[in-house]
Amino acid sequence: MPGRRVLITGVGSHLGAELAARLERDAGVELVAGLDTRSPRIGLERTQLIEADIRNPVIARLIPPLEVDTVVHNQIVRQPGGGLSPQAMHDVNVIGSLQLLAALEKAPSVRTIIVRGSAGIYGAEPHAPQFFTEEMTRLFPLRSRFQRDVAEIENYFETYSRRHPDVVCTMLRYQPAIGPGVDSQITRYLSLPACPTYLGFDPRIQVVHERDGLDALAAAVARPVRGAVNVASPGTIGLGRMIRVARRPPLPLAGPAFGPVTSAARRAGMAPLSEDFRRLLRYGRGVDTTRLVREVGFTPSFSTEAAVHDWAGIRAGTVVRPPARAAA
Amino acid sequence: MSAQQARTAPPRRPHDPPPRVGSAISFMRRLREGLDAGLELPEALGRSAAALPREGADVVRLAVKRLEGDYTDDEWGYDEGFVDIVEPLFGFLYDRWWRVQAEGVRRVPSHGRALLVANHAGILPWDATMMAMALLREHPLPRHPRFLVLDWAFELPWASTSIRRLGGVVASPYNALRLLEQDELVAVFPEGAKGTGKHFRDRYRLQRFGRGGFVELALRTGAPIVPVAVVGSEEIYPKLGEIPALARLIGAPFFPVTPTFPWLGPLGAVPLPSKWRIEFCDPIETAGYPPGAVDDRALVFELSERVRETVQQAVYANLVKRGSAFV
Repeated sequence: MPGRRVLITGVGSHLGAELAARLERDAGVELVAGLDTRSPRIGLERTQLIEADIRNPVIARLIPPLEVDTVVHNQIVRQPGGGLSPQAMHDVNVIGSLQLLAALEKAPSVRTIIVRGSAGIYGAEPHAPQFFTEEMTRLFPLRSRFQRDVAEIENYFETYSRRHPDVVCTMLRYQPAIGPGVDSQITRYLSLPACPTYLGFDPRIQVVHERDGLDALAAAVARPVRGAVNVASPGTIGLGRMIRVARRPPLPLAGPAFGPVTSAARRAGMAPLSEDFRRLLRYGRGVDTTRLVREVGFTPSFSTEAAVHDWAGIRAGTVVRPPARAAA
Repeated sequence: MSAQQARTAPPRRPHDPPPRVGSAISFMRRLREGLDAGLELPEALGRSAAALPREGADVVRLAVKRLEGDYTDDEWGYDEGFVDIVEPLFGFLYDRWWRVQAEGVRRVPSHGRALLVANHAGILPWDATMMAMALLREHPLPRHPRFLVLDWAFELPWASTSIRRLGGVVASPYNALRLLEQDELVAVFPEGAKGTGKHFRDRYRLQRFGRGGFVELALRTGAPIVPVAVVGSEEIYPKLGEIPALARLIGAPFFPVTPTFPWLGPLGAVPLPSKWRIEFCDPIETAGYPPGAVDDRALVFELSERVRETVQQAVYANLVKRGSAFV
């Protein structure tokens, strides 16, 4: 039986590169291909790197000859910054996904698509249930640009899988990632000199530890299921406590002052806080991971609280752990 | 002070002698000395707590632990440490302010899932906290109920945080379902906003019990329903009218006008000292129904009506037992 042939988009990101490295060591995987304009930060041995922009229609000529059976769509940008304007971020996310699907129409060998989407689709709402399950996407209106983008992407992949019943399409909805290797909105926020919070609010925050995020992605590649699956480290942590664990001073701001102060800080060169993230800081969000555990068969090893402690400990130098690759 | 009140007053627990002024001064002095010596605030507080009488010292020590981030809360944000800190205040409300008398506390299952269904009044969930106090103080195996709170409270600063720490969650059937599946004790108020917003002249007349969603929850999880009648809660904020324009402005379901609110500003939020009785009635078992019972509308409405009737009757009976509302 021939081995699997896997394409990873966004292989230049931390998670993409780590997944490629893991699949390289898997004897059951015949080919690992990586699509990105950036080169991976870690050395990859046998990954076939394709330097192309996912927004460019040229990928429709580059992907079919690879004859892959599995596609891991990992190029969804979660935060502005890093050289990407909000407009470019929208293009990469929405147009990129469309171009990828157009290319896959010409690749009949594909059997499995894993999308690393976002739990941002649920939004952050004061009236929300504490833990969203996968079918609760329509409870509230889509409020931010990113939320609408994620909903649009999910819609494309849903349509694709309806038209191709033989392809299993897994939509993984990730909570914000935390960990020594990732650069996410939440790690940037917790690295600010003072963390702005909404006065009088202490929302419940849920994150996913980068190692659990990687293991969940690998588990989904090994055992794909149809439809959406939430990915998070179980449990929640209060924002105030999270900031305290990260040893940062909180900066409580009254609601109306929050926008002006944070945008002044952005002009002064601090990390920008996106609209989603601001809502998250006000109302928080939790997701239910029953489906991840029962159907994908992956149980996260960190709780949200442990993930935050782990990250803060590594940053402060009090926790020493071998890198995830050696441990895996 | 009438003879009748002396007879009906709850048995007072022995309490500490009133804290002397001297101890407060000594506390402040130690605190200042500690800070002058270059200690961090939490440590200085902890050291000077020794000067306070026992109860005060305990509260300060708990508060210090929290300042250092050393506390645990569960995935819902329920925080036992916070409950311990506010216990003296709630104890005061329970014993002195409202002179709560609880009956039938033992009818609440001491473990496993159960649904408490009570009548509701007042914009702040004082009735839920007093039910919790009754269970914590008088149940042989004290347990803290979680309660469902009308969702707009979660848009308000501070209210959302403290309600969550005390065990409140957003009134969503998904939350109730998950809590019951985790074998928690859950309190619901099916009158909802109609209950909190009713006029003073309608006090103790139970409103419609929604669409019977709480019965569906009980049937789905097999949790017994314990009807609870709370008497006294409907006099603490006697609503005489409302200002719809202001309600629209702040997004609240209604903006109440009471004898003290909004005239006295924040002081208007101080509840009136009515006399309370809480009765926990016999549980109604739901585990015996077949699995499809949830979809049987007739059954759901029948059970819902039965619970409402039980609560209403118990409310009337306790009103008679209580006598006058305030003394």
